[in-house]
Amino acid sequence: MNANVYLPALARIAGIEEETRGARAIKTFRIEFPEGGGFDHECGQCAMLSLFGKGEVMISIASAPAVKEYKQFSIMKSGRVTTALHDLDVGDVIGIRGPYGNQFPLDQWKGRNLIFVGGGVGLAPIWPVIQTAVANADDFGSITVFYGARSSSDIMYKADFEELARKAIVQLSVDGAEDGWKGYTGFVPANLMDKAPSPDNAIAITCGPPIMIKFVIQNLQKLGFADEQIYTTIENKMKCGVGKCGRCNVGKDYVCVKGPVYSWAELKTLPQEY
Amino acid sequence: METILKKERLSEWVAQIGARATVFAPAFADGIWNFCAVAADTKVEFDHGNTVRPAKGFVFPQREVLYRFRQESGKAPELMETLPAAAPTVVFGVRPCDGRAMVRNDKVFTCGFNDPYYQARRDQVVFVGLACSEPPSQNCFCLSVGGSPHSEDGLDVLMTELDGRYHVKAITAKGREIVEGAAALLDKAQAADGKAAAKAHADADKHPQRALATMEKVAAGLKEHFDSPKWDELARACIGCGACTYLCPSCHCFDINDEITSNVPLTGERVRTWDNCQFPDFTMHSSGHNPRHDTGARLRQRVSHKLLYFVENHNIQQCTGCGRCISHCPVGIDIVRVATEVSGQ
Repeated sequence: MNANVYLPALARIAGIEEETRGARAIKTFRIEFPEGGGFDHECGQCAMLSLFGKGEVMISIASAPAVKEYKQFSIMKSGRVTTALHDLDVGDVIGIRGPYGNQFPLDQWKGRNLIFVGGGVGLAPIWPVIQTAVANADDFGSITVFYGARSSSDIMYKADFEELARKAIVQLSVDGAEDGWKGYTGFVPANLMDKAPSPDNAIAITCGPPIMIKFVIQNLQKLGFADEQIYTTIENKMKCGVGKCGRCNVGKDYVCVKGPVYSWAELKTLPQEY
Repeated sequence: METILKKERLSEWVAQIGARATVFAPAFADGIWNFCAVAADTKVEFDHGNTVRPAKGFVFPQREVLYRFRQESGKAPELMETLPAAAPTVVFGVRPCDGRAMVRNDKVFTCGFNDPYYQARRDQVVFVGLACSEPPSQNCFCLSVGGSPHSEDGLDVLMTELDGRYHVKAITAKGREIVEGAAALLDKAQAADGKAAAKAHADADKHPQRALATMEKVAAGLKEHFDSPKWDELARACIGCGACTYLCPSCHCFDINDEITSNVPLTGERVRTWDNCQFPDFTMHSSGHNPRHDTGARLRQRVSHKLLYFVENHNIQQCTGCGRCISHCPVGIDIVRVATEVSGQ
């Protein structure tokens, strides 16, 4: 990484995948570094993307650490920088600095059943964990992926889910009723209760809108998951990424440094202000 | 290294340093006391209580260009790093509370990831402190937060006013350099001078100040009463102006934004500016979700950052008791009263 923590490296957009459309469209950007550039990352870490003239935005790295040739970022069109990023084309050059934050402790989960619970664009931060777990399936027990979106057209990584369904148990849901929908109809926490995965020897990993995370954790507890068996990754507004600008804190922790990954056992000891 | 400077020779010392560094000293301008650049031949006297603005701006300016960018249409951007240029700076009249705040700022900016902009300025600024013989403000509470009117922490030199002279103690290598460089003006302190300074310090400690319970009690109380309804009550009058944090010597929160000077080719600067936890959009996500969505939550953040979170992370309070946030709050929000009432002490 550059000696100046604020100075980004330059990287090229090598591919853009349109995941969902609409006012809050999601696109997946594949970023390639020039020869000899770039950095390694761990599952759960983030990077600060720069669009000069617009600003910076912290986005979780959606590709697995094992993928060295590029990094992927799935970005919802939401604020100033993300909206401008959506206007970019393949070949455009952006800035990138990182990686930032801690990681999911996959090493500690060997032999356990993994249950992922994602909602909306919140699938992206846990996607590298899913990819890594599936690629090393012998190290883990069963792998289950719950994922829900507002409607079937809001489901991201559609093509990847077809492949994932061959290697893991996939439980999809949409919020509202739709003709021809074969999955669950209702919110993600309800789908979780409907399928009621066993907490025995399991680890649950969830990410989604704050309100979804709250109810998923409550429901996991109802299903008998202990605090140490529940993991989430939280996002807050960030400017520096290095624990100095002061806005992403939850109590004493700057999420950009101490987070974004927390077990519920750790997170519940912090002020519930996120 | 302890020396004595006759009061009438202060201006000479400042002028001598001014030949090779920019010197700042408290001056009364536009109706307030602030650190102002000392022009040649200016008579320097210490008549101030405390400056309205703290000394943090010398190491963490309100606006700082991190780098410049330039991008021709259809081409890759070019980035030009703008680390601070060498600019030797000596600041006189810094009160010990502002000195102690530097120790806190060092922890923020140099622990973990080192901030090269802060570091470059910190390395070249010399802080010459002035011990308080009496509290400069009715809202001083340095003694309650582990400090004192004559603390040396974070200062390079500490001056103590005695009868007709200053006791001048060099604390750091940077401090020794400016003291040793003025051997013709500064006399070696005698044992009696050391005793007189010690007495001045002891007398200063006796002045009554605002009082806060111990670090441990306040921290424990704030932690226990995180959900107290008092936060909303005490913040009700807050207008979110942010004077409390802008004037705080240890508040370090900042924003980073792009300022464009030309669209074609795209030319501009990435700029860091002081930001403020009392502003609603400080923490607001682009989704509209805001973890600290009202003035109560934002007051709680400011007070808890100073007196709880910083203690949990660094085992010292971030607040150094200068009282500026109390004196300059337009609606009378008072960190001593808030921390005391909420923590139940």
